[in-house]
Amino acid sequence: MRWVKVIIASVCLLAPAEYAMAQALDALAYETMEPSRIKLGESATLRVTSFGHLKDVALPTIPGLVFEEMGQSQGFDFVNGTAIPATFILIRVTPQFAGVFSIPGLTPTSRSIGLEVVKGDEPNPYTWRSQQPPPAPVPTTSLPKGVQLQAGGAAFVHLAIQARPIYVGESVPVEIDVGLRPGIVTSVNGLPTLKGSDFTFNNLSKQPERREQAIEGGTFVVLTWHSALAAVKPGDFLLSAEMPLTVKMSTLSAADRAAASKLAWPLLQSMYNGIAPRDMTIESSPSELKVLPLPTEGRPEHFSGAVGDFQVLSDISPASVAAGEPLTLRLHIRGAGNFDRVDSTMFDHLDHWRTYPAKSSFIPSDAVGNEGEKVFEQPLIAAQPGEQSIPGLEFNYFNPNTRRYERAQTPPINVTIAASLASGSLNALTRAQNLNGAPATGSTQGLRPDHPPPQNSVTELRPLYFRAQFLAIPTTLALILAGSWFAVRPRAARTTSKAAERVLAQLDAAARAGDSSSFFEAARRALLQTFAARWQMPADQITFAELKARLGPAGEELERLFALADEARYSDYQPGGTDFQRWLKLIRGQLAGERE
Amino acid sequence: MRASKIPTLIAGLALWAGQAFAQPSLPPYSADGLYNLANSYARSGKLGLAVLSYERAALLAPDDPDINANLAYVRASAHVSVKPRNRFAHLAQATSPTSAAWLGVLGLALVGIGLMARKVAPRFLWIPSGGILLGVALITLTASNAMLLWPRMHEAVVLIDQTPARVSPALMGDTAFELREAESVTMTAEHEDFILIRTGGGLSGWVARANLGAVVPSVGGGIADRNKPDLNGGQGRN
Repeated sequence: MRWVKVIIASVCLLAPAEYAMAQALDALAYETMEPSRIKLGESATLRVTSFGHLKDVALPTIPGLVFEEMGQSQGFDFVNGTAIPATFILIRVTPQFAGVFSIPGLTPTSRSIGLEVVKGDEPNPYTWRSQQPPPAPVPTTSLPKGVQLQAGGAAFVHLAIQARPIYVGESVPVEIDVGLRPGIVTSVNGLPTLKGSDFTFNNLSKQPERREQAIEGGTFVVLTWHSALAAVKPGDFLLSAEMPLTVKMSTLSAADRAAASKLAWPLLQSMYNGIAPRDMTIESSPSELKVLPLPTEGRPEHFSGAVGDFQVLSDISPASVAAGEPLTLRLHIRGAGNFDRVDSTMFDHLDHWRTYPAKSSFIPSDAVGNEGEKVFEQPLIAAQPGEQSIPGLEFNYFNPNTRRYERAQTPPINVTIAASLASGSLNALTRAQNLNGAPATGSTQGLRPDHPPPQNSVTELRPLYFRAQFLAIPTTLALILAGSWFAVRPRAARTTSKAAERVLAQLDAAARAGDSSSFFEAARRALLQTFAARWQMPADQITFAELKARLGPAGEELERLFALADEARYSDYQPGGTDFQRWLKLIRGQLAGERE
Repeated sequence: MRASKIPTLIAGLALWAGQAFAQPSLPPYSADGLYNLANSYARSGKLGLAVLSYERAALLAPDDPDINANLAYVRASAHVSVKPRNRFAHLAQATSPTSAAWLGVLGLALVGIGLMARKVAPRFLWIPSGGILLGVALITLTASNAMLLWPRMHEAVVLIDQTPARVSPALMGDTAFELREAESVTMTAEHEDFILIRTGGGLSGWVARANLGAVVPSVGGGIADRNKPDLNGGQGRN
């Protein structure tokens, strides 16, 4: 019985709050017109969106416009990235004549909205402000064979690779298609990758191709990356591609979603929507790939691992030079294949020529660098004048189309080497080196000359004060100084001030004169002034108790000294000579701060 | 107990410093050697390596007129501008970093001894006070020298002309801008084979490690240290 009362009371308390919230949500409504400019004879759609209870709206009456309610629906509207339950009413608006219409807001707080209607013979309103052609309709296609939608139907990834077996080291183009549903896939968190370590994945295209496709009733943005793949060992492999994404997904179970759908109150529905972005990686269906080993039969001795279909060409410039002057021999290798394995070993057999390291460049003719031209530039210097021949260059590769090793060879090139010029070999060497770098003519004339050979050297360029080892030295020094600071105490005699010395001299004189009154009075005055300055307190507030507390046993001696001062002042007390010396020692020590 | 720990700590620090200084396996550098190497690079047209070697030589001998003149000349040949040093920098870098380091130690000793002298012998205060002032001046000189050199610890020189600076540390990353050979940049971060650099104009981008040469190579082979100056160069553009 008691629980029934509690429940009734809770409902009574919550109902007004819920009603107030529902009223407040009622106010959150807006309208859109799509499109806002149409031709006469066409219709536009007026959509009323409300975040809460949406009562039936009264259709407006505007001369020249006919309104028809098309239906109501419920769903989610995204506001600032958050999905909020919303109710939509769709209204078809059909004009009866051209003009600019203003439709008042259909809910109490929504604003009026405009609609522009042009005549049919006027320019197409869609292209009125732009000369671009209207967007092409989104082509409707089906998913490639074996590809399945993932991430709740929001995305897919497809790896397209040729079906024939490939050879080890052969470079073959691949395509990776990634389909994404806009609005549900919120971000792509990286580039696609191949799953598996037995392949190299080179030259992935910088930017993917992008297109829209209607697939299974939904519009997908399909991104396509191109790349080249090469196998590093033979065998049968399963290849798949992965793609990291962020997808908006429901975090609720089916039971929770069913419960949320039954909740009539929008506020509670919004609390139960449970949609949140989630990072995930989707993976394509595995594709089979057979990798064959390179045949050992017929393998040339100087085979560098190049697999593909290549053609070679060579030229030289200039064709006639003086002895010691450089020539540039160029070897052009064109075709399709793994250009990474195409190296400059063919220049290793240029006997009787002085060579320098060759420079290479590659000009791709496709997006992934599988086809193109690689050019080697080899500087050569002939030591002897006369007609000389540069031997033909031989390039061996394996052709996967013919399934055998092939040899490409350039013809020998004849050059004329004239007698040596007076400039000497140093200029020739410099020019030869410049073939691989920038021209040196402008940057060498104004240089200051070299220095004599160095005498001193250091092992590290980093300045001493940035090295931890060196910092140990000042640290050690600082520690030593700090330790000494605390260890060394000033000697009493040294720290005695000139004033104290004057007082001591005065006391000494009084002692020699036997003037006990002056001796003890001067001693008490000097001690009290010293203690007052040292302890930061007035002299007249220094008591015997204070002296004993701060000075210990010496305080008792001083108490005796002060008593003798009073006694000598008011009586004829005359201490002996030894007493004066004892008191002088005590006073000197106290003035120097000996006991603290 | 505290007094007994201090000598132990001092002895430990001294032992560690001695062991560290005794490491013999590092290649030697000299201002003249680096200068001559830079001249040979400049004559062979390798302006990036030339500027790198001049910069390293200038670290060891900041006031050498030949080094500074050739560095300016090669930079001008490479059409690379550099901000001129102001008067304060000239003053603070009047001495070499090595001298400045030892002067700082001397200044620390002067300050410490001056303070001790003031405590022990307060009669002639002007003598320890003068020592303290001189010590503070030396320490200030060292600190200024270090502050001016600190940015150069993270400086690098572009070795390859038209080096692309990418928006991301990957070969497929878009090129944000290109760097000239011999241009000096500041290294701010590294990721695998790429280094995030900032130009004098404030532009930032990722550059392949092979295209940069750190002015101060670290002992352990840190950021942009994989370029060993050699006549062949051997760097490739990525």
